[in-house]
Amino acid sequence: MALLGDFGTTWTKLLDTDGGRRCVLPTREAAAQRCRADLATGHNARRWAPRHLNELIALAQGGRRLIREPEFLLLDVGSRDVKYVHMGDGELLDMDWTATCGALTGFTLELLGTYYDLDYSRMEPAEKSVPVTCGILGMEQLFELVSRGVSETEAVARFARGIAMNAHRFIGEPKHFYLSGGMCDNQLFQRSFPDGVEVRPLGRFVLVEGLIPELEAAALPTITAPGEDT
Amino acid sequence: MAEKKRRIGFAGCPPESILAPRREAHLIDLDNLVEGVEPRSESLLPRTTCRIIRRMLDNALALDLDEIVIDEGYGKCDSARGLADILEQLLDIPMIRTRNENREGAGTPICDSNLPPLRKMELILEGLVSPRKFDRTPEPDPPAAIWGVPAADFSVYEIFPDGTRILGWTRCLENRTPSDWELEMDVPYGVPTVFFAQTFCPKNIIAQHLAQARGGLHVDVDGVLSQPVRAKIEAFLHFKNVRR
Repeated sequence: MALLGDFGTTWTKLLDTDGGRRCVLPTREAAAQRCRADLATGHNARRWAPRHLNELIALAQGGRRLIREPEFLLLDVGSRDVKYVHMGDGELLDMDWTATCGALTGFTLELLGTYYDLDYSRMEPAEKSVPVTCGILGMEQLFELVSRGVSETEAVARFARGIAMNAHRFIGEPKHFYLSGGMCDNQLFQRSFPDGVEVRPLGRFVLVEGLIPELEAAALPTITAPGEDT
Repeated sequence: MAEKKRRIGFAGCPPESILAPRREAHLIDLDNLVEGVEPRSESLLPRTTCRIIRRMLDNALALDLDEIVIDEGYGKCDSARGLADILEQLLDIPMIRTRNENREGAGTPICDSNLPPLRKMELILEGLVSPRKFDRTPEPDPPAAIWGVPAADFSVYEIFPDGTRILGWTRCLENRTPSDWELEMDVPYGVPTVFFAQTFCPKNIIAQHLAQARGGLHVDVDGVLSQPVRAKIEAFLHFKNVRR
């Protein structure tokens, strides 16, 4: 058995392969608990696991485990970056990862939801969008809208649409694609893509799933569960 | 008292006929990282200037040189030619402007060897300052290849396995034929190849074109290798079954 982790910038996802127990906790909390995994991926993986796998490989392998189609496009919108893989018959056809354009968009959307106390599952997508080159610049536009009298809810909805449009262009504007990461819990974001585009959410554990082939390839030592660090 | 050695900076790959008589002096490759040099190029060059041109300017301003030799021929870019003009204005030292049109290949034993690619790069660049004969078994079946100019951040080469073939302008550099377009564009089929260029370098056009034609990966890096670019190279090699 082993503890697998995706130590993202703001959220940590853990999977105990013995029994399949899963948990999601803020990365700052994982740090406070001195959480250690046996094998990890994510921005902070090197800090908390002796073995790590880069996020693109984890994403691709996770997609291969979870998606039945031989060819698929899988987008991961994280707190600080956006990345995707396009796989066909097990081969990597294309990929990209941007931490500049698209940076902090997921984090900013989460921040805005908390700040304005918004329920994204109840919000309607906006007709218009805010040009979101990155989270910071997008937020500037959003506050400008609010200062002109646009409601906070509408401004945030336009921001979400801006992120979705950017992400859709980034992956080559496909008719359908799979989604990974925290945005799988955000209904507004998923409904903000252009009409006719089908978004298939896979949840927050795709990258963790992608660690399993590595685990199977090599026997790993015994796990150290959160809070049991020695 | 011993006479102080003259300090001569050079950029690119000047002709051997120009470099050879200057090897008695302290030769410094201005393209390379020199520890302790303060960056001053930010205020002197446009933001869209590649990291190597910036480094050449920073080094030239900081190293108290007696002379600069710069190759500004077909093997170099407009930026290097422009930089030569800027340096002539900023520094009161001789500027030797050369055009290396050499076509007599010195060979590429380092590029083709079974050494780790990082060591290959060190040897190729050291060879400009202190040439020596290199006798090493060639790698007949390279697991991967990296095409391009020498990177500003050499950690990119650590990602690749031993025996990775060096292609592109770096290969021309070892061959001492920096303006040999045919050699620069020579990319074998069937070898997983990463096409590297500095961000803002016009070679990105060729790099992307070749990557598409050969099913390779095009990356551009501005100075320090970022985590996303590292991950892309690792993923590319992983899914091509290239292991270190």
